[in-house]
Amino acid sequence: MAVPVEEAIAALSTFSLEDEQPEVQGPGVWVSTERGATESPIEYSDVSAYRLSLSEDTKALNQLNALTQEGKEMASVLYTYRSCVKALPQLPDSMKQSQADLYLETYQVLDLEMSRLREIQRWQASASSKLAADMQRFSRPERRINGPTISHLWSMLKLLDVLVQLDHLKNAKASIPNDFSWYKRTFTQVSGQWQDTDSMREELDDLQIFLSTRWAILLNLHVEMFRVNNVEDILQVLIVFVVESLELDFALLFPERHILLRVLPVLVVLVTSSEKDSESLYKRVKINRLINIFKNEAVIPAFPDLHLSPAAILKELSTYFPKFSSQTRLLTLPAPHELPPREAQEYQRHYLIINHIGAIRAEHDDFVIRFASAMNQLLLLKSTDGSDVEWSKEVKGNMYDMIVEGFQLLSRWTARIWEQCAWKFSRPCKDASPSFSDYEKVVRYNYSAEERKALVELVSYIKSVGSMMQRCDTLVADALWETIHSEVQDFVQNTLATMLRTTFRKKKDLSRILSDMRTLSADWMANTNKSESELQSSQHGGEESKANIFYPRAVAPTAAQVHCLQFLIYEVVSGGNLRRPGGLFGNSGSEIPVNDLKQLETFFYKLGFFLHILDYSATVATLTDLGFLWFREFYLESSRVIQFPIECSLPWMLVDCVLESPNSGLLESVLMPFDIYNDSAQQALVLLKQRFLYDEIEAEVDHCFDIFVTKLCETIFTYYKSWAASELLDPSFLFASDNAEKYAVQPIRLNMLLKITRVKLLGRMINLRSLITEWMNKVFRENIEFLFGRFECQDLCAIVELEKLLDVLKHSHELLSRDLSVDSFSLMLNEMQENISLVSFSSRLASQIWSEMQSDFLPNFILCNTTQRFIRSSRTVPVQKPSVPSVKPSFYCGTQDLNSAHQSFARLHSGFFGIPHMFSVVRLLGSRSLPWLIRALLDHISNKITLLEPMITGLQDSLPKSIGLLPFDGGVTGCVRLVKEHLNWETKSELKAEVLHGIKEIGSVLYWMGLLDIVLREKDSMDFMQTAPWLGLLPGADGQIATSQDGGDSPVVSLFKSTAAAMVSYPGCPSPTSFHIMSKQAEAADLLYKANLNTGSVLEYALAFTSAALDKYCNKWSAAPKTGFIDITISKDFYRIYSGLQIGYLEESAQVPSNSHERLGDSVAWGGCTIIYLLGQQLHFELFDFSYQILNIAEVEAASVMQTHKNSQFSVKGWEALLEAMKKARRLNNHVFSMLKARCPLEEKTACAIKQSGAPIHRIKFDNTVSAFETLPQKGS
Amino acid sequence: MARAGGITNAVNVGIAVQADWENREFISHISLNVRRLFDFLVQFEATTKSKLASLNEKLDVLERRLELLEVQVGNASANPSLFAT
Repeated sequence: MAVPVEEAIAALSTFSLEDEQPEVQGPGVWVSTERGATESPIEYSDVSAYRLSLSEDTKALNQLNALTQEGKEMASVLYTYRSCVKALPQLPDSMKQSQADLYLETYQVLDLEMSRLREIQRWQASASSKLAADMQRFSRPERRINGPTISHLWSMLKLLDVLVQLDHLKNAKASIPNDFSWYKRTFTQVSGQWQDTDSMREELDDLQIFLSTRWAILLNLHVEMFRVNNVEDILQVLIVFVVESLELDFALLFPERHILLRVLPVLVVLVTSSEKDSESLYKRVKINRLINIFKNEAVIPAFPDLHLSPAAILKELSTYFPKFSSQTRLLTLPAPHELPPREAQEYQRHYLIINHIGAIRAEHDDFVIRFASAMNQLLLLKSTDGSDVEWSKEVKGNMYDMIVEGFQLLSRWTARIWEQCAWKFSRPCKDASPSFSDYEKVVRYNYSAEERKALVELVSYIKSVGSMMQRCDTLVADALWETIHSEVQDFVQNTLATMLRTTFRKKKDLSRILSDMRTLSADWMANTNKSESELQSSQHGGEESKANIFYPRAVAPTAAQVHCLQFLIYEVVSGGNLRRPGGLFGNSGSEIPVNDLKQLETFFYKLGFFLHILDYSATVATLTDLGFLWFREFYLESSRVIQFPIECSLPWMLVDCVLESPNSGLLESVLMPFDIYNDSAQQALVLLKQRFLYDEIEAEVDHCFDIFVTKLCETIFTYYKSWAASELLDPSFLFASDNAEKYAVQPIRLNMLLKITRVKLLGRMINLRSLITEWMNKVFRENIEFLFGRFECQDLCAIVELEKLLDVLKHSHELLSRDLSVDSFSLMLNEMQENISLVSFSSRLASQIWSEMQSDFLPNFILCNTTQRFIRSSRTVPVQKPSVPSVKPSFYCGTQDLNSAHQSFARLHSGFFGIPHMFSVVRLLGSRSLPWLIRALLDHISNKITLLEPMITGLQDSLPKSIGLLPFDGGVTGCVRLVKEHLNWETKSELKAEVLHGIKEIGSVLYWMGLLDIVLREKDSMDFMQTAPWLGLLPGADGQIATSQDGGDSPVVSLFKSTAAAMVSYPGCPSPTSFHIMSKQAEAADLLYKANLNTGSVLEYALAFTSAALDKYCNKWSAAPKTGFIDITISKDFYRIYSGLQIGYLEESAQVPSNSHERLGDSVAWGGCTIIYLLGQQLHFELFDFSYQILNIAEVEAASVMQTHKNSQFSVKGWEALLEAMKKARRLNNHVFSMLKARCPLEEKTACAIKQSGAPIHRIKFDNTVSAFETLPQKGS
Repeated sequence: MARAGGITNAVNVGIAVQADWENREFISHISLNVRRLFDFLVQFEATTKSKLASLNEKLDVLERRLELLEVQVGNASANPSLFAT
């Protein structure tokens, strides 16, 4: 369906172009544009329109530019040349018959490469002859041609620079002569059958001489130049131009500056090697100026990994140019490797960025503020209608100044990086071990951590300022054009007019030149001035005319106009005489006043910079291009390897430096070094035109980015874990700690990085945020997995530590979720617990806890009733468990210090299981898995009782038919002996031990349930206090729960009902049905929460379950009384069995008192007494327990002994330990019985009455039962 | 000595230069606005891509939750006896 145009436009106007993406990368150009201003796009073909007789100059200028372009391409071929010989196979002896074929194939492959080298040889010969011829053209006095123009001088210098670089590359590439030797060898082998090979051989010999001779190109150029005389004049003009440009230094960008620095030593050698008077140069340029330049620039960048040294070049060239050897002052300059230590320190202070980063930082901050202010002014100007002309001009002029300053800053900063690299290449690391390669000495181990950090900072400044300037290109373009137009017109129509009226009134030749300037560049229609007005003014003689006011016009001069203006200014100053002494704008011998010269000079250099402003995008791209930091062709050549590992790659070294740096402020710059890869890839494709280089860069970027994402995510994860652990640390611990700072976490601003959805990388857009999110989801799961695995390698006492670590993880997840959309923690926890399904009631953790209880806790732990703790028995066999896996600190609490602090707390809860551990179990399992665990434990009790039954039957068989009360006559000794006779269990010690162990385990489970009951009651109380106000529950009389409304709705139901009623009557509500549904849901919630109020006790439930399990054995373990009276002779009830076991256990423990608590603990009492209580035998046990009777007899015996021997001390000789143990057992048993009576009261079992005659009246017997018996589920039913 | 300067027929050259200024003003104005239009399109594309990334992120979260719910419902449907009370 077509949308109306008006609606589409209206919708589009609401679309905001602002997004929340931070700018942490450099400028990225979507569409590459060619240069349009620095080099004339139409090759200065419009110059002839101005009829300045510059056609020859223009033709030669274009020819030189074309040669320079070709030379750059050939330099790329040489620079990226990789050895072919290393790829040649070596034939084994068994394949010698194929040697001829191998030679032929090798020749064909190498011929392809050698043809390119041959092409280079031919090109350099042609270029040298043309350059020499071009120079000679301006040296003949009989020729009357105009020129050379300044653009022509620049073209000469650039071509000379290309020739010098080609020579340097040829000198440095050792594989080229080697490959050529192989080529010649194969040619000799395969050319036996060919005809007319003499010319080819001669050609090969020429090529070999060319490739093997150092500085062959320069020597050839020298021969071509001095084939005729008089070329010294143009060389001196070039030197003067170079020296003055370098000394002024405000109009040059760093590529131009480096070109001049590379060319100057060669020019000096050429001019001083002439047969003519070589000292004439120093009349125009003092030798000290040259020496100062060469001294200040000890190292000059030539290629990304090749540096030049003027001093070294001069020394080396002196052996090829004999006349230059006499220049002793130039030859005594030290080369970089010859520098004394003190001078090296001076140079190091100059070259290393770390010494200037403070000043650069101040420059950057100041410039950014002023640039933003100028931009705001410009935007304000554009949004104001009919603004003041003066204000408009001021604002736009200020913007122009900001742009110029920005270019100069970028140029200076990028040049500093180039020069630092050149310096580092010239001075390898001195502490390197012999195993280091050359590249590792100059790059990998040559930058200290501080130097890398400074380099990252400077790269970030360059990229951010470049990005800022790139972004406002179309906003400032018309302002820049208007300002440049205004500057040109002001010079042409005001300054030149003044000069014509004053300085040049009587100099007709110079006046004509000035008039020509006005003719070719004046925009007369831009002001109110007319040529007629000027004529009238001049006719009136000395009448003063007012300064012209220009109307703004946003159009800039063309390259041809700038070109011609510079040429004419140069003609005015120099008069066209190449031999005129003095400098370019030197005032010695000049007839022009100083002020006028100053104005001409200033405007001359401004014109040069105009071209960079007009070529805005290309200039920004050139000045922010840092791709040279990646290239290392020369060192690949000398190291004889295919490629270096990424640890040797400077961009990756910077990224790694940021990630590993403790300074977290650098982290926002972590993506800046990746722009270096973007730049180098662009260079590989566009400049060097080598596909294999791009492939290598792409492979490295893929590898580095993967590692970067991994390291960054680890940093993020570690940071958030440390942050969470630090926040959850106990405050009192921090207060008591001597050094609390080590537990504090330094904040890191990560929210910017976490927002990035578009990282520009080799033309692709990468969503970094989704990568980080994906990694975080994975690592949180891995952390949970590790914590569970670690818990599974330890005993149940580690549950508290597990909960603490999961709390840290949960809190770190909560902190991270503020900036990143990761999966919810409960989802991840359920996943790792393996209970995502709605019908999953067990979980991995619950299964582990149950397994641990079954196999280790219940058998091996003993209860201490006083401390309410389970501790490990010392008599257990160690359980074989897998060792705890070792991981990085971030999987615990983030840092080593926080891990140590956490372990201090964890150690407090290790070695025992108590209330804190039960709290952890409840919180970790939750209401979902806890019932499963409870059911498993209850089934365990049932199984234990079933297992005990045959063993107790075995014990019962050994008992006599009746056991009476112990007689007092025999005393303690006699009673103990009598008990042993009754029991007759000596032959069943193993059976006794097993029964005791089983009872102990039942007791442990029941006590565990008691702890669980305490914890759950506390939790339920908290839940109740939260829900009570909503349900309308109040504390009533006698501790009962009362309701705030009499039979009405609870507050939550009333609230939603009233809301629904109000919404129904409200006309503006679109869907009142939703509120009705909410009202119904409130009623459902009310019912659900009220039902939960009457939850029973877990301990009572466990006791009821145990009682039900015991019912099956009631008849076997409880004899029914035959009469209505207590039968004191019953011998096979359970209380008799337990009584016998107890006294035996006490006798054993009395013999080794120190180990009494480490045998079975207090669980035995809990187990045995619970069974006795639930079987209804408590009173019988308390009356007829053997230990209790012995205690009574001991008291009687002690009293009688005191009466008989009044003077002797109280003692029942030999039985003190046993009696003491019996007293402890009685106290513990009484405690257990009172607890059981409180938690699980029994109904009256039997009732009977006795007639007055003494005969009993029998009643109906009630079954043994408890309150909740009827509701128990039957297993398997 | 070469005689620099001396534009022949200076009046005609001046007239041509004047016309050239005015023509290039028009051309500069057109080309600048075309570049501004292009800049807008580039920024629109980047912003839209960023908003789509945010939307995609939200959809991913919803998709994961939906997948979880489907698994839970599937397990519940496979065991109907557990819910028969």
